[in-house]
Amino acid sequence: MNDLGRRLARIAFDERGADILLMMAENQGNVGPVIISKGQDPGDARIDVPYQLVAILTNLLPFIGKAKVAILCRRCDEKALIELAKRGIVDDASMVRIGLACSKEQIQACRCSDCVPSKVDIGEAAEPCPEDALAIELGSMTIEQRAAFWMRQFRKCNKCFGCTLNCPVCFCDDCVLEERTYTPKEGIPPELAFHLIRSFHLADKCVECGECERSCPVDIPLLTLRKMVNRDMKNMFDYGSGDAEKKSPLLTTLDDQPLEDDGHAC
Amino acid sequence: MHVDHVLTTCPYCGTGCRFYLQVVDGRLVGVVPCKTDEISQGKLCIKGYNAHAFVQHPDRLTHPMVREDGQLRKATWDEALDKVVSEIKRITAEHGPDSVIVLASAKCTNEENYLFQKLARAAIGTNNVDHCARLCHASTVAGLLMSFGSGAMTNTIPEFEDADCVLVTGSNTLEAHPLIGARILRAQDKGAKIVVVDPRDTPLSRIAYSSIRQKPGTDIAWINGMIKIIIDEGLHDEGFIKDHTSGFEDLKRIVQPYTPERVEEITSIPKERLIDAARTYASAERAMIAYAMGVTQHTNGTNIVRALANLAMVTGNVGRESTGVNPLRGQCNVQGACDAGGLPDLFPGYQKVEDADARKKFEAAWGKPLPPNKGTTLTCAFKDALIGKVKAMIIFGENPMLSDPDIAHVEEAIKELEFLAVTEIFPTATTKLAHVVLAGACYAEKDGTFTSTDRAIRPVHKAIDPPGEARPDWQIACELGRRLGASGFDFSSPSEIMDEMARLAPPYGGISHARADREVLRWPCPSKDHKGTPVLHVGGFKIGKGVLVPVDHAPPAEQTSEEYPFILTTGRNLFQFHTGTMTRRSPKLEREAPEPYVEVNTTDAKRLGISDGGRVRVSSRRGEISLKARVTGWIMPGVIFIPFHYAEAAANRLTNPALDPVAKIPEFKVCAAQLEKA
Repeated sequence: MNDLGRRLARIAFDERGADILLMMAENQGNVGPVIISKGQDPGDARIDVPYQLVAILTNLLPFIGKAKVAILCRRCDEKALIELAKRGIVDDASMVRIGLACSKEQIQACRCSDCVPSKVDIGEAAEPCPEDALAIELGSMTIEQRAAFWMRQFRKCNKCFGCTLNCPVCFCDDCVLEERTYTPKEGIPPELAFHLIRSFHLADKCVECGECERSCPVDIPLLTLRKMVNRDMKNMFDYGSGDAEKKSPLLTTLDDQPLEDDGHAC
Repeated sequence: MHVDHVLTTCPYCGTGCRFYLQVVDGRLVGVVPCKTDEISQGKLCIKGYNAHAFVQHPDRLTHPMVREDGQLRKATWDEALDKVVSEIKRITAEHGPDSVIVLASAKCTNEENYLFQKLARAAIGTNNVDHCARLCHASTVAGLLMSFGSGAMTNTIPEFEDADCVLVTGSNTLEAHPLIGARILRAQDKGAKIVVVDPRDTPLSRIAYSSIRQKPGTDIAWINGMIKIIIDEGLHDEGFIKDHTSGFEDLKRIVQPYTPERVEEITSIPKERLIDAARTYASAERAMIAYAMGVTQHTNGTNIVRALANLAMVTGNVGRESTGVNPLRGQCNVQGACDAGGLPDLFPGYQKVEDADARKKFEAAWGKPLPPNKGTTLTCAFKDALIGKVKAMIIFGENPMLSDPDIAHVEEAIKELEFLAVTEIFPTATTKLAHVVLAGACYAEKDGTFTSTDRAIRPVHKAIDPPGEARPDWQIACELGRRLGASGFDFSSPSEIMDEMARLAPPYGGISHARADREVLRWPCPSKDHKGTPVLHVGGFKIGKGVLVPVDHAPPAEQTSEEYPFILTTGRNLFQFHTGTMTRRSPKLEREAPEPYVEVNTTDAKRLGISDGGRVRVSSRRGEISLKARVTGWIMPGVIFIPFHYAEAAANRLTNPALDPVAKIPEFKVCAAQLEKA
């Protein structure tokens, strides 16, 4: 274990009383996710390969039981956990967040405007990147040109479901994209509805972690799409994902009063 | 609770993507793509994401079985293994060792395939060992060995994205090799021109720069036509031809009659499209050719491969980055099964069994005299079984009852066998006919290596135990070898097996499990300090000069007739894999492509009164199946397509077992068929 790993283990187990720790480590030249308990050696800890640990965690949740989980958490991961907690998917009290400030390079790669976790445990806070160049370019196009751009991108899709499988806030047991109702055609590319439904489905949840874009084998600029939808959410409803206080506008009544329910609808 | 993330290699196509299997207390719960892997880069296709789904399926075979009074019943390992050994001993005593054939497996590891061929050669005493490469790229191995001196992909997967032109033919790349297709799309996004030649419009061809449809079975005509245009327009690379090839004058002569007009007549490719394709390919600084079964599965498959090699050589597109001739291999370890010697004419490392020096080397290593003549092929073995020449078959992880052409005949042949042993992970149409069934371990339950289509040695790591009493195939092969009385089957780990293979197969000389874990090594990797060879033939061909083999167009073995007016071609779809043994037990894959279908052109459908989704009967001279029609403009009029995954409407009941004379590969891609409303 390297120094970074020892530090992470100390924060997780000694300082914050976690039972298990989810992080990234290098083994034999490759970096991957690891889950360790106190005293286990995971190999050398790494923070420079952006695995989506929240998505990895949600896949394991049914098996984790009551264990207190420490997780290496960027600002976007932190917001994802808030969205999941708001919907009762994770229990905030049983989570230990270890704040990771992203590197300059990562911030540039994500065109990230909100990049510093509420508490920085690892790394150093760096300047945000305010603009997504492609979003600006698309914004200057006519609607027809923009539609043509996205159609061209979506025609490359070969339906791997990587964008949903690796998404930290995709959590439905039965994915609407797997139903024939909305994507009736067999084969690829899936209909435009596939991407539009996904886009709207995440409108009040997406935290712009960029994992959909990183996972896309055919380089569809999905993070740009997310940023554009999120911008509209902000402009139209003054809503941004990852805000623990605010209810999603999708969960409000027509007269703007929040609905009182258990929050499981999405 | 204990959670592990075990890094391993995908068990589906030959791209060799790597991912972590998520294991919770011995249960596989998911797949996380490996972001630091050079080939897959943290991306997977839908099959990769579901590669955990079949592993712990309740249908898994968990114990050996032997046939008694016509029924398979549970048996102990001792009983089952002894039964195999006593039957093989009895049959070889009566009919000689060449009455037995071992089928190795493109689904098993290099180490296991090494043992399978050693079992055939050293323990049984026959070169009768083959595997399903016979059905996919046998023509590549033969064709490229002759043209270039090496029968594998000349370049690597990552290089696709830096090509200026990619000529894709006979490959539905985005469906059959999704991550390679993605690299080709990335090349296009960077400005490369993608030219696809295929009788069907594929997801790739529909967004490519140029999509050209040829009549199935006319490939040499359009390839020769392109070569002629290139030479006539002076777009060939004279320097490369002079320095690195032989036979140019003969090639020039043979392509002369392939004028664009004549090519159009034969292939129905409009001449302007062919001329544009030729100019696009030849004028690119770096042009890659990618091809798959649409090229190889013909009675002249070997010649089509040579024609493609000619095209690459006359334009100097060999021996540099982002060029070359790139057969895309379709199984996780079909490249490795060939490398490891699972072929009747080749020892591990492509050393000829008929070469006395090579034989001497293996005799010394294995301590046994070895048979000097090459063995029989998988495709011929079934014919030999019908005439009583082959009496026993040991099959490791293959399902010829669905994968081989003309299944009715395969079944007849298998029933003629005195003895059939099958090692499998699930019950299949083939295990149903076996006398002994041995329960094997799947990729997630053992260690070893696969070799990807671009010759990279990809480690496979054990994530969980095999179910019940099932055992890894390498242990089964060791047991059989020992019980047959052979020495050299006392391995305690796959790593030791690789060490032996590395000593005997020069391209693998520098390979070890420890190195493969840390480095992406592509063979040839002759020594422990060698870094591997991404691009083959840099600075010239090892055989001296590349051979321009003049080849002529020849029609397919079977022609359409009044009775069978359609050309039937077969292949895969994205969501299923081969005979569906694994994918059809993966709920999310099965959901996407749950039933067999035949693609029919819109005008043909209209003429015959067939509606989309309507039931039809498809027949050939060999059989008949009934399935749903998918009416589409994406296939040429007069041509129909059926994926071969579905046992309930097996395309291979219809296909023609006619063989390429050199490679003995069957013509899966063309047979004459009739289509009627059911």
